[in-house]
Amino acid sequence: MVRYLVRRLILLIGVVFIVSIGSFYLLHLLPGDPTAVILGTGDTPANKAKLFAQLGLNKPIWEQYFVWIRNVLRGNLGTSFISQTSVWSVVKAALPIDVEIIVLSQILAFLVAIPLAIRSARRPDGPLDRILGAGSFTLLSIPSFVLIVLLVLFVSIKLGVGHTGPSSYVSLSADWIGNLESLSLPAITLGIGSFVVYYRVLRSDLIATLQEEFITLARSKGISARRIMWRHALRPSAVALCGTAGVNIGGLLASGFIVQYLLSIPGLGYELIESVGLSDYLVVQGIVLVVCVGVILINFGFDLLTNIVDPRIRRE
Amino acid sequence: MTDHPKLLVVKDLRTTFATPSGPLPAVGGVSFELGTNETLGIVGESGSGKTVLSRTIMGLQPRRNVEVTGSVLLKGFEVVGASEKEKRSIWGLEVAMIFQDPMTSLNPVMRIGKQIDEILRVRQGMDRRAAKARAVELLELVGIPSPAERYGVFPRELSGGMRQRVVIATALAGSPQLLMADEPTTGLDVTIQAQILNLLDSVKEQMKMSVVLVTHDLGVVATRTSRIIVMYAGRIVEIGSTREVFRRHRMPYTRALLDAIPKVSNPSHSRLVAIPGRPPNLLDLPTGCAFAPRCAYATDICRVQRPRLEPAEESGHAFACWNPLPVAEGALT
Repeated sequence: MVRYLVRRLILLIGVVFIVSIGSFYLLHLLPGDPTAVILGTGDTPANKAKLFAQLGLNKPIWEQYFVWIRNVLRGNLGTSFISQTSVWSVVKAALPIDVEIIVLSQILAFLVAIPLAIRSARRPDGPLDRILGAGSFTLLSIPSFVLIVLLVLFVSIKLGVGHTGPSSYVSLSADWIGNLESLSLPAITLGIGSFVVYYRVLRSDLIATLQEEFITLARSKGISARRIMWRHALRPSAVALCGTAGVNIGGLLASGFIVQYLLSIPGLGYELIESVGLSDYLVVQGIVLVVCVGVILINFGFDLLTNIVDPRIRRE
Repeated sequence: MTDHPKLLVVKDLRTTFATPSGPLPAVGGVSFELGTNETLGIVGESGSGKTVLSRTIMGLQPRRNVEVTGSVLLKGFEVVGASEKEKRSIWGLEVAMIFQDPMTSLNPVMRIGKQIDEILRVRQGMDRRAAKARAVELLELVGIPSPAERYGVFPRELSGGMRQRVVIATALAGSPQLLMADEPTTGLDVTIQAQILNLLDSVKEQMKMSVVLVTHDLGVVATRTSRIIVMYAGRIVEIGSTREVFRRHRMPYTRALLDAIPKVSNPSHSRLVAIPGRPPNLLDLPTGCAFAPRCAYATDICRVQRPRLEPAEESGHAFACWNPLPVAEGALT
């Protein structure tokens, strides 16, 4: 088990390096550079060139990368070209918002998906199963950026619930209820996207598990259908769910970015999109790095969870 | 009836599956009785309805697209037509089941001890510690070495034979009076088969149970049952004491099954005897005797009219055949 963990970890470090190189290179392919943003378009070419050199942008890309990665390894993510604040402080302010949105969305998704999947699996092709099947398929086909707009339209504009509209983010330290309100629509949007996936995966696995002989054996012990479902069927059916959740959360970050941007919620996604527009390379690099490590750690966590859920996997 | 009330009384039991191609009578009218502390063998080829019969007796048949008629009285409890909730009251405590494949009949992600003592804790309200102690006792009873350490292992850590012992321990946990063993040795090595059968015998005596042993292998039931039912196409074609069925069977199908057992005394490389033809399609049963198309003794009447179970000389022995084998010829050499 320990060997397995160490091997995974080494692999993960490699992935982080490759992603950081890739994003560094792609970023420099973008048209525009930070000097235009800082100095404005009217400044002389000589001044631009001077600033260009000051920022270290005249060096070859690979050298810039090495400078950056050396600093990162020393724990320094650099400073923003534009605002001159440290990248770490930007990340530190934004990251908790993403974490909060994702945690809320996942709680919602699992709380709804597990009981509904169980109900559906109890009577496959029954009325509830059919309704949920069609409903989940409809939800699956609505992209998050459409869903959030619909939610804003109904919840914040029609119903007038406070702090739910665009640009109404309230920080957790200021007012936790307001904070919850302002993050509720993003959390619901991402939660619905996850719910559909979790519901479908768990439902089909449960139906398969319930056909197993050991379920008949459990029935023959005279224990209740409820206990059979929760104690005998759920755990062996949850393996694919864990794997899916790990991958799904990585994808959620991306849809989370769009939702954040649309509602001007100052999470990582909002900062990232802003910084790309400003060619603020080091902020982008820093956020990409943090997100990459985050996604990898989440997947790693779910891998471990899968191992706990199903001991059969433990020895590959 | 004597002062020994029958443990199990099955009357005209029919299990019919609704399939897209029409009704499929997997069990087509079966009646028999079973006393206490008795072992009954149910024998037949694959598809003869023996597994469905054993599950229907327990009321464990699939819940949908199935119609069950007739009667199964288990210690006075009518299983046919009982709700799942009512049946739950007898499952595990009055009647338990052992399944064919120990590789699939244990929950792969649950520790074996938990699977054994679940019934004690959930059904009998035993506390965790007492239940565990009992589970370890049961593991010992079924011959698992170092049972206390094995309590916490997962099924995949055990061999097939060991798993079947665990399944037996699970079945015994509720101290049932009737144990339905559905091909309990089919998935096991030949050397393990005898051990498991001996184990079933010994726990049956210790716990004063009755056992219904379902198998396709007459060799399995020969020495361990007091009575045998031979099934074909969902019906009983011969029933009687084990001795009678082996020595003086009258139904050609029983004879064919007996002939199909390979004998050690046969010279090596001699051909194995097989029953010609295939088991009948239950969706399209012939009007006459279902075995007629494969039977060497079949005459015209066999193809038009189904024979009823007729009593033979010895009481309790009955067979369904128009052209029964003569008593002398039925004797095994």
